[in-house]
Amino acid sequence: MKRSIPFEFFRYAAILAATAITLIPILWMASMAFKPIGEWSATGAELTWWPKEPTLANFRFIFGESDSSLIVALDRTATKPILSSLLSAVFGTAIAMGAGTAAAYGLSRFGSGQNLPLALIQLRLFPPMAVMIPVMIMWAFLNLTDTWWGLALVYGIVTLPFAFWLMKTFFDDMPREIEEAALVEGCSRLRVFTRITLPMMRAPLASAALFVFILNWSDYLIALLLTTREWVTVPVYMASLSSSMTGQLYGAKAALGLIAAIPPVIMGIAIQKHLVRGLTFGALKQ
Amino acid sequence: MSAATDMTPAIAIIPTQKPARDESARLGFRLTLPAQILVLFIAVFPILMQLYISLTDWSPLSGTDWWNAWELWNSFANYTDLVADNRFWSAMWRTAVVMLVCVPAEFLLGLALATLFADEFPGKRLLYSILLMPMMVVPAVAGYMFFMLFQSGGPVNDILSSLTGTRVAIAWLSDPTLALVAVMIADIWQWTPLMFLILLAGLVGVPEDQIKAATLLGANPWQRFTTIVLPKMKTIIIIALAIRVIENFKIFDTLYIMTGGGPGVATETISVYIYKVTTQDLIWGYVAAIALAILIVLSIVAVWAMKRMAAARVAA
Repeated sequence: MKRSIPFEFFRYAAILAATAITLIPILWMASMAFKPIGEWSATGAELTWWPKEPTLANFRFIFGESDSSLIVALDRTATKPILSSLLSAVFGTAIAMGAGTAAAYGLSRFGSGQNLPLALIQLRLFPPMAVMIPVMIMWAFLNLTDTWWGLALVYGIVTLPFAFWLMKTFFDDMPREIEEAALVEGCSRLRVFTRITLPMMRAPLASAALFVFILNWSDYLIALLLTTREWVTVPVYMASLSSSMTGQLYGAKAALGLIAAIPPVIMGIAIQKHLVRGLTFGALKQ
Repeated sequence: MSAATDMTPAIAIIPTQKPARDESARLGFRLTLPAQILVLFIAVFPILMQLYISLTDWSPLSGTDWWNAWELWNSFANYTDLVADNRFWSAMWRTAVVMLVCVPAEFLLGLALATLFADEFPGKRLLYSILLMPMMVVPAVAGYMFFMLFQSGGPVNDILSSLTGTRVAIAWLSDPTLALVAVMIADIWQWTPLMFLILLAGLVGVPEDQIKAATLLGANPWQRFTTIVLPKMKTIIIIALAIRVIENFKIFDTLYIMTGGGPGVATETISVYIYKVTTQDLIWGYVAAIALAILIVLSIVAVWAMKRMAAARVAA
């Protein structure tokens, strides 16, 4: 359809305005991450959108180098929280994808587990805050509090609905002729699943896994309740980078925030075409 | 003995459907088992436990294990307390206000953007990727971004200063009303992209020949939009709104990092309220009652939403 010139002008103006609003918060944090301490809380005429003297000091500081301009030294570095976030998100993703893929295949091909779709939607619906009391009691009992593996287990269960629904719609969409041919050839059904279906589904599996990883990596509330010191994750650690003594360590927090924000943004762009499917539990495909 | 040897070849030659079905059913059961166990472990068992604790005065400080909570039995006192708990109801009200502002704003902005992206134009792919970025930013980090932006000497006031020509130094996060506004702006910033993404997927699915036909019949763009596009997108719009209503109801991360529920209780939504009662007041029996009441209401919503989604899949 041909559009008029005023319309095209309006369109670009509106989209560019939206793009600017989208980018301002991200750019402000990115810029803050490279600002030396003197520029952290500059106001009025002193406030600049670009660091005047860009520095990597904030990054060095959160990884343990003491900063002469800061009185405080960190009692621990960002290394272990990053490790904790990584381990809990990766293993949480593995649990969700393992259980979710198997269950999705069982339902899609053999009609087993008819209760799962509704049960898992409900699981997703509950605010985590409203089921955390029993989880905190159980985790304390099982000695899982403040460990990355305890956190990974919760993540695996919390993101199971997404893994299950995504994989279910992928399996539903997959043509069954190849599987049926292999069955006629004499393969067992389990062998068909592990040797034929799963290898064919590599790309959808990878997209679903990245999607689930982003969700696990993004958690704050669950880690806030279930980790206290040893295995705090990046968002919990980040919130602790301020105290009544030091005030807000703006630059250090921004540097850490930048590190936390980059992986999911890249992954999200990589799996763009599956985002709609993932977010709507497969009700919509793009 | 001889009867058995007679039987065996017959089975091998004329296989019935039954063994194959048995094999499928067994494999299907085994494949769904891990998921079933996880659901039992995190949903069914905890909810029963929560129901039990909610009928008692149990807390982690009461010195007994949770299964002995019957010693502190108080029947339905927690539930009657809940009905009279003003802080609970005002947190509910605040959650509703945030939802009633944010979800329609996200919907309208998302729909407007989706309309602008409906056909091809140079730079579309790049701009599309950029516009989706906020929803992938870790919510806690997004909360910190907006915490910085809304400082009284921060960039938001700086932009306002240069727009108005006067020195603006609003203390956004320490003013009860403005703090709520700031929190809602952060939510709209982060989740408009989700609406945009879903609605755009729906918009490109509207059959083009119907739009062309309507154009030939003399319908103006607004008429085409209201009589063809909107009805075709009805289910998608319902799904998009349902997702945001559910997620917005849980609002915690960004908000808690920005204001901690403050100043006072000015931005205390239901999740923040439960969090504070859990970690500061430690009255877990009462928290269990609140949580359970919310879960029951939400389960009814879940059944309804599920039916809508099933209907959408049939229609698609």
